[in-house]
Amino acid sequence: MTHRLSRHALVLGLAAALGLTGCGAGGETSSSPAAGGTGLEKTTIRVGALPVPDPVALYIAQAKGFFEEEGLTVEPVTITGGAAALPQIESGALDVSQTNYVSTFLAVSQGKKIKLVADMYQAAPNAFTIMVPKDSPIKTVADLKGRTILVNNLRNIATLAVTSQLKAVGLTENDVKFAEKPFPEMGNAINSGQADAGWFTEPFITANQKTLGFRTVADTMTGPTAELPIAGWMATQEWAQKHPKTLAAFQRAIARAQQLASADRKEIEAALATYTKIDAGTAAAITLGTYPSTLDAARLQKVADLMLEYQYISAPIDVKSVIASAAG
Amino acid sequence: MAAARLLRGVAGVAGFLVAGELVIRFGLSEDLVFPAPSAVLREAVWLPSDAVFLRGTAATLTNWALGLLIATAVAVPAGVLLGALPPVERAIRPVLEFMRPIPSVAIIPLAILLIPVDELMKVSVIVYASLWPILINTLYGMHDVDPMAKDTLRAFGFGRSAVLARVSLPSAAPFIATGVRIAAGVALVLAVSAELVAGGTAGIGVYVTTAGSGNRTDLMLAATFWAGVLGVAANLALLAGERRLFHWHRVRTGAAG
Repeated sequence: MTHRLSRHALVLGLAAALGLTGCGAGGETSSSPAAGGTGLEKTTIRVGALPVPDPVALYIAQAKGFFEEEGLTVEPVTITGGAAALPQIESGALDVSQTNYVSTFLAVSQGKKIKLVADMYQAAPNAFTIMVPKDSPIKTVADLKGRTILVNNLRNIATLAVTSQLKAVGLTENDVKFAEKPFPEMGNAINSGQADAGWFTEPFITANQKTLGFRTVADTMTGPTAELPIAGWMATQEWAQKHPKTLAAFQRAIARAQQLASADRKEIEAALATYTKIDAGTAAAITLGTYPSTLDAARLQKVADLMLEYQYISAPIDVKSVIASAAG
Repeated sequence: MAAARLLRGVAGVAGFLVAGELVIRFGLSEDLVFPAPSAVLREAVWLPSDAVFLRGTAATLTNWALGLLIATAVAVPAGVLLGALPPVERAIRPVLEFMRPIPSVAIIPLAILLIPVDELMKVSVIVYASLWPILINTLYGMHDVDPMAKDTLRAFGFGRSAVLARVSLPSAAPFIATGVRIAAGVALVLAVSAELVAGGTAGIGVYVTTAGSGNRTDLMLAATFWAGVLGVAANLALLAGERRLFHWHRVRTGAAG
């Protein structure tokens, strides 16, 4: 999930400006030589994740010692969005990071050399919904015609999911207006008349239901988007090639944690308390997606194909080529 | 005098908080959810018992102090040098005037791209932003040196470096201190902004991001409140230091009280 909270910054191409501080790009490489015993190319890795339920496996694996058993020391780093994490894996500030698949395929279509290394989060019914105030005249998806819908990011997973629901009732994205707003601000923005509806995920679905009495108009993960893969773990192609054993160790630990998360919701709730500010009551109430333990190209292909259908990308992407091969 | 001023300050803050509380509780429509000052302050009181927040505050303050220190170490000698060599200053001035107004927050994405070590990236943007107020104030300080005093020392046969050490530097010092104090505020803004944009393992900005993702606006504001408290505390500490070190300067320039 790209979850942009505070991005008030613009890129200004003034490399010279930085150079003057005497703190330009450090030539440091953080790769350590092969560690004895485990044979891992790198034993300490920095992994970027959002403080949301999607990357819970990282924190479960950490708490249960799954990484340690693989000889891996993982340093979780809070990121502010998949799009913001991309330059961080490119610069080497992060080894692996959370990403949402739409962002990944957009980046791949722009020629970025990144690879998906593990699956993370997949949509389940009612985990991503369009919501409106309780007294709104909007009752169905068709009623959204001519309305403004808030999304966390434009031209990303939210707009793709909503557009696919619009198509089912004969509308296109041109029949509505999308506007960007961070999740925590959407409820108030809709109630103050800035928009008519919003695309929400947890814990905001539960929160807006409870505090503002919002009502769900539609689940956006049905029909063509049912069980849509949402988020995964990415690394640069170069990193994946250079660290095949470290990558395999990371993948094994994450897969174990994904299985645990799928088997026992209590594990998820316990972990959420450690890295998010979602309180126990909310954690027990929210609707979660699923946590697949294998990265399946056929499933992911659906995302790339939808993106092509709605012209998020101009040429087809063969998802197999974006997945890091097991051999490195 | 001082007591009356303090009282007025306290009354101002209290009035502001009460007004905020009333507007949010009774003025805002029930359809809008916004934490009232009392709720935010309650969370703020508890925040120091949150280990994650404490670690974050320590990380932010470390970056802040390091950035400010490096900026001072670079900008003061540069300012003194430029101030002592007017032709060089005239040559460099246009570049300075061009770079100074660039919003420092805007270089954060560029820094993320260029600097692979997170802490170094954050310290770098803090250094960049803090350089300007210190450099400019040092330059003003150097310009403000009493020419008569310099000439007098020269007349007695003192060399350039002696004039610099005995007249120019002491005379410019209060200006430099003001520059550092202004930079301290700027540095805190950048320390938190860099965390909000880039994330990280710990920091006040990282805590705010995490609170926002969990729909805890009250916690976001409580953490922001502490950032404000730190800024005020740093300013007061530096101001007290200036008063103590440079009381003679205040007398000379006739600054009040």
